[in-house]
Amino acid sequence: MNAIMPNVMAMKGQFVQATWETIYMTLASAVISAVLGLLFGVLLVITQPGGILEDKVTYSVLDKVVNLLRSIPFIILLAVISPLTKFLVGTTVGTTASLVPLIFGIFPFYARQVQNALLDVDHGVIEAAESMGSSPTEIIFRIYLREGLADIIRVSIVTIISLIGLTTMAGAIGSGGLGDVAINIGYARFENDITFTAMIIILIMVFAVQLIGDWIVRRVERY
Amino acid sequence: MSEQVANAIELKDISVTFHNSDQAIEAVKHVDLQIKRGDIYGIIGYSGAGKSTLVRVINLLQKPTGGKVIVNHQEIQQLKPVELRQARKKVSMIFQHFNLMKSRTVQGNVEYPLLGTKISKRERREKAQRLLKLVGLSEYAETYPSRLSGGQKQRVAIARALASDPEILISDEATSALDPKTTKSILTLLKQLNQDLGLTIVLITHEMQVIKTICHNVAVMDAGEIIERGSVAKVFTEPQQKLTNDFVETSTNVKEAIERITSTIQISDFAANQELMYFNFIGNSTKQGVVSEFSQKYGVDVNILFANIDQIDGENVGYMIAIITGDLDVFNDAIEMLRPEGVKTRILTNETLQGGDGR
Repeated sequence: MNAIMPNVMAMKGQFVQATWETIYMTLASAVISAVLGLLFGVLLVITQPGGILEDKVTYSVLDKVVNLLRSIPFIILLAVISPLTKFLVGTTVGTTASLVPLIFGIFPFYARQVQNALLDVDHGVIEAAESMGSSPTEIIFRIYLREGLADIIRVSIVTIISLIGLTTMAGAIGSGGLGDVAINIGYARFENDITFTAMIIILIMVFAVQLIGDWIVRRVERY
Repeated sequence: MSEQVANAIELKDISVTFHNSDQAIEAVKHVDLQIKRGDIYGIIGYSGAGKSTLVRVINLLQKPTGGKVIVNHQEIQQLKPVELRQARKKVSMIFQHFNLMKSRTVQGNVEYPLLGTKISKRERREKAQRLLKLVGLSEYAETYPSRLSGGQKQRVAIARALASDPEILISDEATSALDPKTTKSILTLLKQLNQDLGLTIVLITHEMQVIKTICHNVAVMDAGEIIERGSVAKVFTEPQQKLTNDFVETSTNVKEAIERITSTIQISDFAANQELMYFNFIGNSTKQGVVSEFSQKYGVDVNILFANIDQIDGENVGYMIAIITGDLDVFNDAIEMLRPEGVKTRILTNETLQGGDGR
């Protein structure tokens, strides 16, 4: 081991810590983005023209916000958003500080995906629920989120995998985590074994997410 | 007052206009409609006639641009959202594509309208099971809808529609996606529900057969307007409008027969003493030997090319197409005298056929 990847063996402790940091960044930003993304996704679907609570103004504003945020390249978002990060977290460096740009980077993407998943719910079923006297809240929770659950899980997997990618980019501004290690140590010092090992760990995480996600989809989608 | 009590649904001067990029489309134009409690009321028309839009006004799934909707004596446009949802529970609906929830079992689908009501979980289960038994699907309670056939899905949809103890059931082309045999069994079920539960049924369809099988009253819709209405027997034995006649002739195969006959026989090749005649017998006249009696009495030959007998709301209706050879003037006058007794005739010539009469 020492012969193949001497630099990795020399900083084993730091690798373990970086792995945990990546997991922390991914999970913490995923939870908050999930809430925001579901909220925006549901609002987009119900306020759109022909939706159950059609509202042109709300829809148009949300739609534009999502489009705007989705258009900013993440690496630039990291820099642009730093005053907000400073205000919210008190600092712009470190793992927790990176959550702010991560959330703004991923939730609009997730919102759009949730919107598409919910648009796939058969409109006839929504109409049937309305004819049975269901309220908008009941339609959201008992029809949209339930009928669209398998698709929502599918888009969640895609989103988490994208999010893991973003956490590594946050490494560029000193967020910690595997991206930070790969770029600021492995790449900067020409220690290729470190870069390579960081990549392998990330790949393992991605596969794990995919496997677990697929398993959940199979459990949910019994029909 | 008593007349008002008898009406389950009253639509007054209903109009629905859709605005489509600076173009206004009038889907429903000033329609008045009264449907009596316990009736099975059919609305027939081709697609795009405005039937679906009209029935969606009844539970305000479609807000009318003008007019009044009165359901169970309530003017439902005046209701607050909460009250409207309550009122909707009394007006159930079934659809052409069933609209079942794929993520819920059959049992779950039937229980759906009862979620969020005061009924306990156990009562809810029992009620759903009772309804599934009623529609003959007890053993499918734990199955998901995707595993059912079309007819079974529609039965589940009917059970679900009944869960909220509705007074009115709206059927939006509910049998249009089903084969004839399944259609018949679904219609039998609807008829049974109408009789056993006193359910008022409003049924829209483009199939005359459906109307003939279960409806008491019918309205014919075309281009957003009701062009003809009345009891099924009357409307379909004495159609006043061409479209109505068209539906009758399609369902009795008369239309097809005329096409077949005129493709093999040229009316222009007829001798001077020959004509092609269409006969329509209603009620008792189907039982008399009109044709044989006349052919003997007036010495004409009757060569029957097509004949069919149909039952509309319990009344026999006969259709016949024949070539008459002989003294036509006398024959035509004589048969015209039978009109009050329910024998109607029409001489088919190239002009009347091309004029769209046999469309």
